[in-house]
Amino acid sequence: MEAHLMLTSRRVLPAFDWRLIAAAVGLAALSVLIIYSTSGMHASLFRRSLYLKQATWIVMGVFAMVLLCVVPYRTTWSLAYPLYAFLLVALLLVALIGRTGMGAQRWLSIGSFAFQPSEFMKLSLIILLARYFEDHKDGLHTPRIFILPIILTLVPMAFVLRQPDLGTAIMLLLISTSILVVMGLKIRYLVLLGAAGAAVAPVLWHFLHDYQKNRVLVFIYPDMDPMGAGYHVAQSKIAVGSGGLIGKGWMAATQSQLNFLPENHTDFIFAGLAEQWGFIGSLGLLLVYAYLLSRGLRLAKDAHDLFTMVTSFGIVCMMAWQVVINVGMVTGIMPVVGIPLPLLSYGGSSMLMNMLAVGFLLNIQKHRYLY
Amino acid sequence: MSREREISNRYAPFQKRIRVAAVLVSAAVLILVLRLWALQILEGDRLFQLSLNNRLRLRPVEAPRGLIFDRNEEVMVENLASFDLYATPEDMPDIEDTTRRLAEILQSSPDELRQRVSQGQGSQLGPVLLRKGVDERIVAAIEEQKIDLPGVSLRVRPVRTYPNGGSAASLLGYVAEVSQAQLKSKEFRDFRPGETMGQAGVERRYDAFIRGVDGGEQVEVDALGKVSRLIQQVEPQSGFSLHLTLDNRLQRVAEEALQGKSGALIAVHPSTGEILAMVSQPSYDPNQFSQRMTPDQWRKLTGDPHHPMQNKGLQGQYAPGSIFKLVTALAALEKGSITPETKFSCDGAFSLGSHLFHDWKKGGHGALDLRQAIANSCNIYFYNTALKAGIGEITRVARELGLGAPSGLGLSGEARGIIPPKPTVPPEAGGWYPGNTVMAGIGQGMVTVTPMQAVMMVSAIANGGSLYRPWVVRKVETLDREVIEEYGSELVRKVNIDPDNLAIVREGMQAVVSEGTGGRAKIPGLRVAGKTGTAQVVENKKSGSQRGDQRDNAWFVAFAPADNPQIAIAVVVEHGGFGGQVAAPIAKSLLEAWFKLPKEQRPAQVAEAEPTEGD
Repeated sequence: MEAHLMLTSRRVLPAFDWRLIAAAVGLAALSVLIIYSTSGMHASLFRRSLYLKQATWIVMGVFAMVLLCVVPYRTTWSLAYPLYAFLLVALLLVALIGRTGMGAQRWLSIGSFAFQPSEFMKLSLIILLARYFEDHKDGLHTPRIFILPIILTLVPMAFVLRQPDLGTAIMLLLISTSILVVMGLKIRYLVLLGAAGAAVAPVLWHFLHDYQKNRVLVFIYPDMDPMGAGYHVAQSKIAVGSGGLIGKGWMAATQSQLNFLPENHTDFIFAGLAEQWGFIGSLGLLLVYAYLLSRGLRLAKDAHDLFTMVTSFGIVCMMAWQVVINVGMVTGIMPVVGIPLPLLSYGGSSMLMNMLAVGFLLNIQKHRYLY
Repeated sequence: MSREREISNRYAPFQKRIRVAAVLVSAAVLILVLRLWALQILEGDRLFQLSLNNRLRLRPVEAPRGLIFDRNEEVMVENLASFDLYATPEDMPDIEDTTRRLAEILQSSPDELRQRVSQGQGSQLGPVLLRKGVDERIVAAIEEQKIDLPGVSLRVRPVRTYPNGGSAASLLGYVAEVSQAQLKSKEFRDFRPGETMGQAGVERRYDAFIRGVDGGEQVEVDALGKVSRLIQQVEPQSGFSLHLTLDNRLQRVAEEALQGKSGALIAVHPSTGEILAMVSQPSYDPNQFSQRMTPDQWRKLTGDPHHPMQNKGLQGQYAPGSIFKLVTALAALEKGSITPETKFSCDGAFSLGSHLFHDWKKGGHGALDLRQAIANSCNIYFYNTALKAGIGEITRVARELGLGAPSGLGLSGEARGIIPPKPTVPPEAGGWYPGNTVMAGIGQGMVTVTPMQAVMMVSAIANGGSLYRPWVVRKVETLDREVIEEYGSELVRKVNIDPDNLAIVREGMQAVVSEGTGGRAKIPGLRVAGKTGTAQVVENKKSGSQRGDQRDNAWFVAFAPADNPQIAIAVVVEHGGFGGQVAAPIAKSLLEAWFKLPKEQRPAQVAEAEPTEGD
């Protein structure tokens, strides 16, 4: 039966990794369930309608996924620089005419859609670096080959930091650094760069908003302010922990429902899951992510060219860092730096971007079978 | 070398590093799993309990306070519903539209409303207060358009209301939130911060009856403290009503009579002790306290040199002046040192040792008997009498009549007054001098009384020797008029004074009005007995504080009808001048009102021409 299915699928829709698709779409569907179940009967009308909006984003995301899966990845390869340039312009526009929400200027309004260029910049940066390293694959032993990638990372980072969106800026840095290290950037240069970064950190600190400074401080001194910035963490720890082994059950996430958890549909969505389905549910989620990541890592390891290797590795890094930081943040072992959980957190740009990333993985996967 | 192998060789370093990355990712995921284990399995129970406490709140629902009626069932204190207008921005899908509609109803600018609503967006404080105490028209309009105004709500708040404003304010008291200082004291340990309570007067003394039993709601709240679900509810029980002995009509007459002056008036029923009117001027508006008081209002109230917050009838201690001559006369009669027929000659001065004491009337009154001496308030007569009676007997009679001790009304802050102690130290040793006795005998020096003590003393003289405890609350009732508590007259003591002597003094008091210094309280057809007093304002002259007026305090005590007293009155007007001139007419207008007599048409200039201007 299994073999037969595989056979048919390969014949009719060759090389689609259905389990990868199932994992991604499953996570997205779960996100709708959590957003719905944590909105509660007494939440605002707006909050109560969000699960439907998220479902809409997912449908669009699936189309985006299919698109990136079908379009030959060489096309994407050829668009790496224009895409990056386009998003830089978009980031510039955000700084100039962007919509402000939650204390930061992050969105570009196009009609009734609000689009967050910084989210897409993550994927664009991965593709850009992949192309760059493939173009310069023979010079990887020279340290100065890494100078341009560093600049290409720092420019969008600066824009994002100015919004201010500390989380996305950190993500750009982590993604890029991960890729550079795999590409052979010596750790000692990295340490050097880190030292340089630490030297300018006080300057960057100056650019942070008070709430961001608070969040960093509260991470270092967690009990500093249980009702202020530490409140989020304290509440989410209660939400997660109160789920126990099997959770409080569907729709019974009182902590997450009753606004005790701010951002319970975006950055703190994991708490809603952990409260409803407990340790078992949380473990299940982490296993699905682990599966997704292992698929990506396998693609990277087995890649036949640097472009697909860097792209799939970059996508894995992006998702891995986001999962680790986000769950770490919700459970109180990481600072609160607005980083969404891939495919689960509410948000159109994030959903679309992650779906595109999965689509890209599928595309690479598909092409492996062509050999 | 195959292509596969070539690739694998070439990419080997990358693949090695990717494998390292895979291990690191696995390790990170494992750490997350361990962290979740710690939170959900090891700490799960504790955090589960925490999550329960987090969302359940007990929200008190304040009981409406009981009403306060006067003796004729007229409402003196009530509660009015005040509607406050709130907006919940999260529940407003279209803030623009809603605020525009709301602005139309409120007849205010939509921009300002919209601004206030959007300021409250994402606020930690719950709904935004848009307008406090909106009127009925707006309430009706909002209820009518409820469907078009999502996120707009009205909340009812009972507001303690005193329909007569400042009338009887110092007696009734006021209601305000329990203060921080009060919360710290043991007496208020059962009070919650923010809870309201009676803070003065009757509202304070009978708070336990009036306040009712607060209800409670067990509610589920969100992190913003916003109630999201009612789980359980205990209805509040309304407070009990108070029925006072006060006569609102008489009270208003008395207030009018004292209008613009600083002083006190108390009228009681002399044979029960029930208070019919109790005025302290200037007054204040207790309604100010029901709303949130501005610091400015508070400064104005507390900074007023005439102390509007004070109940002068209970807290004001005044030298009694000549009204104390009643005590001196009784003391001398009791001791047998004089009879009603005993005469002293008054030539306007009285020498004691090296001291010379003067009469208020230059040239003196000539020879007087006791009745005439009381009627004309002759100082010389009472200097002699005081010396004959001795300070011991004077203070005994004073204490018998309730002076020097609180009357027992039970309202907080009542003063005791001063009656000199029995002299134990001889004059030679710097103790009590005969000169002190002479001064005390005319109510100056080391003697002070409160208007409440004065009126109870006069009542005891009027009713033939029964000293009653004054009382102001007749009964306590539930809303269904079920009587909870009923109060009646309470005898403090049958005074140890010969009733015949009391009759002699009553005789003199009638002469005060009919032919003496209290002529301005004369009412045709009513036998009024009284006594004037003009007390020197010693502390002012001594301290030289010069807070304006240094004129004497004017006293008048009275009862009527003289043979069957129905009402006793004490009036004191601070810095009013002569008692007969200032205080007596006030008592008169009260008597006219009480006995429903037509106000006597009497031009002011006739009064000016009356012969007995003095004390």
